[in-house]
Amino acid sequence: MNQTLINSLGSIKRKIVNFSRSQKFYLILAAMAIVVILPPFLSNYVVSEVLTPMLIFAIYASSWNLLASSGQGSLGHAAFLGIGGFVSALIAIKLGIPPIIALFLGSLLSSAIGFLIGLTCVRLKAWFLAMVTFGFSVIIVTIFSELDDFTGAIMGFPTPLIVDRGLPFYYMSFAFAAISILAMYLVMKSKIGLAFKAIHQNELEAKMVGINTGKYRLIAFVISTFFAGLAGGLFAQSIRYIHVSVFDPYYSFLPLMMCVIGGLGTIEGPIIGSAIIVTIDSYLPRIDDALHGLVGSIFPAVSNVGPPLRTLGLGLFLLVIVIFAPKGVTPLIKKTYNYLRNSLKEEKSK
Amino acid sequence: MITPELIQALLWGVAYGCIYILLATGLNIIFGVMKLVNFAHGQLLMIGAYIAFTVATVFGLNAYLAILVAMGAVALIGIGVERFTFRKVLGTDKLNEIFVSLGLIYVFENAAVLLWGHTARQIPSPLQGLQLSIGEGLEINDRLLAIVIVIVILVSLFLLLKKTKIGLAMRATSQKSTASMLMGVNIEKVYVFTFALGAALAGASGALYGIIFNFSPTIGALPTIKAFAIIIIGGLGSIPGAIIGGLLYGIAENTAVYFLGGVWRDAIAFALLIIVLVIRPTGIFGEKGE
Repeated sequence: MNQTLINSLGSIKRKIVNFSRSQKFYLILAAMAIVVILPPFLSNYVVSEVLTPMLIFAIYASSWNLLASSGQGSLGHAAFLGIGGFVSALIAIKLGIPPIIALFLGSLLSSAIGFLIGLTCVRLKAWFLAMVTFGFSVIIVTIFSELDDFTGAIMGFPTPLIVDRGLPFYYMSFAFAAISILAMYLVMKSKIGLAFKAIHQNELEAKMVGINTGKYRLIAFVISTFFAGLAGGLFAQSIRYIHVSVFDPYYSFLPLMMCVIGGLGTIEGPIIGSAIIVTIDSYLPRIDDALHGLVGSIFPAVSNVGPPLRTLGLGLFLLVIVIFAPKGVTPLIKKTYNYLRNSLKEEKSK
Repeated sequence: MITPELIQALLWGVAYGCIYILLATGLNIIFGVMKLVNFAHGQLLMIGAYIAFTVATVFGLNAYLAILVAMGAVALIGIGVERFTFRKVLGTDKLNEIFVSLGLIYVFENAAVLLWGHTARQIPSPLQGLQLSIGEGLEINDRLLAIVIVIVILVSLFLLLKKTKIGLAMRATSQKSTASMLMGVNIEKVYVFTFALGAALAGASGALYGIIFNFSPTIGALPTIKAFAIIIIGGLGSIPGAIIGGLLYGIAENTAVYFLGGVWRDAIAFALLIIVLVIRPTGIFGEKGE
């Protein structure tokens, strides 16, 4: 164990050194600079309703992505989002602990429950795991609603904030997102991440070359649920009022969709996916009225055709991506970038 | 301890179980032959219920004849789904099948909302208002009829699998698809037929569901999971297992609701599923480990 740890640390160090010399590094640095400098010039709505959720869901989707990189597609990640959110808020209110510490305690508890659930899940194959994780999320929401006297889940309650909403909260979310995603990146690039990949590709072969598949799958569970809990704590603060609806299957499917659309198994995929989905969610409702005027008369059964039509479109989008672009939109963006760069170079050489 | 209410709960459980048996059998056949889990199977149930509802209310067809229409229509939808989505990802990463199912869930649920609205519906039963007593305390009602219909469908399914050529081809494919391909079985045809058959069973269970319960576009998710629990309890790929698993499940759920209260209904489903998976991952009747 010690030796593997030293090896992983060594490989992580090498990766960092190599990475800091690459062109990608400067690209990321530039992107980060934009993300840091731009927000003060944007409206309050954009900062707190679009950019902040984007960062929080980037953490959440990345945590899902990490688990999926070991071949384990969870359909119940909302359980950990909810546990992180509820527990961190409850601890802060009932025990009077500063919200920042409560946030970590909530994530740790989410991770502990992830460990327990992982114990049953690591033996299961893709479909069973998906079902069982979904099942656990239903069990957990039932427990939270049944213990309503203590959790206050059904009516919901306002969450204590670490910093004020708006710009301060945005910068705090940015710091958390940057650190969390970097941490997950390092894990995925280390020997542990390599083991995840091997397990994903062929578990039996991974076992044959001496990888303790159960152990690594459990590690994936623990790390992933920790960050899902962290995202949950931040999410509960960003929406200000936590309520049992945070366990909704919608939030279980959301990170999956973000990862698939952005590009599964890559580090940038969940971030891009989160940016796309949150943008769609915040700006597309504005076309609802227009849609209703346009096609509302065809579907007399619904009062507003906007929301179902949009979700239908999202489902079709997901199908098209999975079938025709299984690597997500990231390769398309990369291709466009390379194409632009090459044509720019040609211009120069002329 | 044994009260009339408990007996009532048990009977309800059997009727309940019967609907899930149909759904689970469809899921199980598709899994057995194609090694594919269609998470959108419950949405086919929901679509089946709506089709039967439309046929029964708009055209005034007897609700029990509408079951046949629902089966046919959902089978056609199943062919489309197999042809245009699952066939493209079959044999690639297993996670892709889950993603495709999720996309289908979104598509079906929202298409149903657009076509039929959010209102809860129920298919008008021809038995409504009739008192058909057969012996003491027993009367013919929709639940009893549902049990009979499920038995008829399962017997025909059994005959189809054991006595016909396509049934033979399906069984061969489920054992070893490459070998049966070498023996001249057209695998793609078998896949389409299997998926359509599974979908038709889901359509039938949907029509029965719609006669007995209220339904709305979002009912599909839980039946899928319950059907999944049933095939795990019964053992993957085993149809007798699915039948016994379905009965056990229906009874367990209804007695648990009777003793613990309705909020635990869904959590119990999963607790049962997880316990079975932990203790015996291959199911009670499963032969080989998955």
